[in-house]
Amino acid sequence: MTADQLRIDQTGKIIEILPSPLKLNLMELGFLPGKKITLQHEAPSGGPKAFRMEETLLALRTSEAALIQVELI
Amino acid sequence: MSEALLSSTTRTQKVAIIGNPNVGKSTIFNYLTGLNQKIGNYPGVTVDKKTGLLHLSEATFEIVDLPGTYSLFPNSEDEIIAHRVLNHTRIEDRPDFVLMVIDSSQLSRGLFLASQLIDLGVNLAVILNMSDLAEKRKIEIKTYELFKALGVPIVSTDARSQKGLDQVKQLIGEKNFSKASTFVDIRQVIPVEILDRVAERFQLENHYQAYQMIRFGSKDKAMPAEERRWISDLLDSIQFNLEEAQLEETKLRYKKITDLVTKAVAKREEVKPKSKFDQLTLHPVWGYVIFGLILLLIFQAIFTWASYPMDWIDGFFADISTRLVSWLPEGPLTSLLAEGIVPGIGGVVIFIPQIALLFGFLAILEDTGYMSRVVFLMDRWMRPFGLHGKSIVPLVSGVACAIPGIMATRNISNWKEKMITIMVTPLMSCSARLPVYIILIGLTVPDEVVMGFVNLQALALLSLYLLGIIGVLITSFFLKLILKTDEKSFLLSELPPYRLPRWADVGLTMIEKSKTFVFEAGKVILAISILLWVLASYGPPSRMDQIRAEGEARLEQARGEEEIAAIEAETSSLLLENSFIGIMGRTIEPVIRPLGYDWKIGIALITSFAAREVFISTIATIYSIEGDVEDELTIREKLAQQVNANTGEKTFNVATSFSLMVFYVFAMQCMSTLAVVKRETKGWRWPILQTIYMTGLAYLTAFITYQILS
Repeated sequence: MTADQLRIDQTGKIIEILPSPLKLNLMELGFLPGKKITLQHEAPSGGPKAFRMEETLLALRTSEAALIQVELI
Repeated sequence: MSEALLSSTTRTQKVAIIGNPNVGKSTIFNYLTGLNQKIGNYPGVTVDKKTGLLHLSEATFEIVDLPGTYSLFPNSEDEIIAHRVLNHTRIEDRPDFVLMVIDSSQLSRGLFLASQLIDLGVNLAVILNMSDLAEKRKIEIKTYELFKALGVPIVSTDARSQKGLDQVKQLIGEKNFSKASTFVDIRQVIPVEILDRVAERFQLENHYQAYQMIRFGSKDKAMPAEERRWISDLLDSIQFNLEEAQLEETKLRYKKITDLVTKAVAKREEVKPKSKFDQLTLHPVWGYVIFGLILLLIFQAIFTWASYPMDWIDGFFADISTRLVSWLPEGPLTSLLAEGIVPGIGGVVIFIPQIALLFGFLAILEDTGYMSRVVFLMDRWMRPFGLHGKSIVPLVSGVACAIPGIMATRNISNWKEKMITIMVTPLMSCSARLPVYIILIGLTVPDEVVMGFVNLQALALLSLYLLGIIGVLITSFFLKLILKTDEKSFLLSELPPYRLPRWADVGLTMIEKSKTFVFEAGKVILAISILLWVLASYGPPSRMDQIRAEGEARLEQARGEEEIAAIEAETSSLLLENSFIGIMGRTIEPVIRPLGYDWKIGIALITSFAAREVFISTIATIYSIEGDVEDELTIREKLAQQVNANTGEKTFNVATSFSLMVFYVFAMQCMSTLAVVKRETKGWRWPILQTIYMTGLAYLTAFITYQILS
């Protein structure tokens, strides 16, 4: 599954970042295989999602979260 | 050694501060330089160049604050600037030392950039900032382990509470920076022959510098076209995939960093719970309610607080003009000074309270971390119109004044979204339109209450504001279809933890933004006001002299103060009618007649190009209204009596008044906004296009309004 499919308070472990022009941007922010992300907030009507990764809260658009492949833990 | 001595005696040594966004870089920069700061431009980009001086007993240093960046990859203008400063083609222009600021609670992300800097071979020192926050989160950093692994000096600080900052000064004074050994060997991702060829051609010191040149060279417009082509030819000839290399480099770096962080950091493993503030401010319903309330509070403050200093400034410059007239001998020079230059400067200074206050509030929202929450909440609603969540800040600021709004578009990194935001922000009804609306509504809309509580005048005013917002949305939508870009729009941002604002930084932002406006946009505004003054005070000499002579002759026979005032007002009205601007007003009459305007309104349209509120003072002069033009009631009564020579009806009837109001909703009647757009877009192309489309839109909508209502 991809990170945009996580529900609030669900945590996923990153398997890989799918190829796209944003791959590098995601990786330099720290979205790397093995890291755990938890969905904490969602803006309404398909708006951005906020994920907790270690100490940071990171906002992504749904389309951007769909680039992060995760497994549910 | 001798070389170092030589260079330190011949010039001031440069220290560049670099770091991720939101790590407290500017607090450290502000601490080191205080008010000895200067904001300049980097050629070809809109990123501000912030430099300042640090005076220490040992020597004076020049401090350069680089824009916040996560890496040295060429993703954005900010990163290109970091590259350009660090790898300047003229070696003597490169910084002598680099100070890297890392957020202690975000160690691995900071180390990513630090490791790139190490590989570039710069003289580096690392500041571990926000140590208090890290402590609170039970993160313990073994600084010595880190120092051993990196090989550069490390200082722990907490810039907010100023803890450890004197050590930073000491470190700079002692020039305690060092070059560490390579962190990641870039020959693992790109063949060494290529690196050697590039290094030789551009006389670079090491392989990582060569690699940087390969990646940035073809994108950096500051590079000669020939060199750029050489690089892309080289890459083509070996069919090298740059993107793959970058991903590979990222993986290698993070692998090494993760190992390092495991060794150097002891921390509790747990998912941080949601913050209570975020439960509220990011709530799908309450989040928007809170945002609305905060906006209301800010506008309330701006409208009530800014009006006092604005009145003082207005009075102060009017006073200077009056004094100049009485002190200096009568003549064209005096009137240029008193009626052209002084009011022109006043017209620039008058915006300072609004700009300073608005930027003060924006700085507070930014600094507390709330702004990124607003972007989070609004992004979804802005995107269908080709705007970004970040566009909400300029648009909302536009209700007070478009100038700070357009200055705030800097934060939008995507070119297309930034241009659309700049182009539509002046359509938001700003505070300068308010006096125009109020007079015209007062003239035509009855002060009545319908349906028990709705005041018709308030309803009319609200409709005008809504009309502006509709204009913003429709225009953005069209621009979204027209403008083309290869850049991908993304949000990808951090929501930093909530903190108290740093008041000193807020104050500095207010000063810096006001300075930027006064010195950059002020020149254009002053030039246009002088031009408008010349056009309004001069006309064909024979005709003007005749009017003056007739006026004086009548004055000699006048009895009583009232008659004198009436004659003086009539004379100045006649002079304006026959000035070059008056002639222009008559010339455009055929064009504006379909909108329901006569040539007198035409004159006011031209003069109010300086600023919308000038419409009222011009109208007051042209209809020879004596007495206090500030008093809206006097003006309103006089205007109500005016009769249009073309139609024989009242000049300010419902059709004409509404047509005028609609015209002012859409028209670009503000040279200050134009000057700021020119500054932000680095040229006249966009401000000219903007004026054309806004005037066109204003003309069309005013035409429709008049035709329907008349």
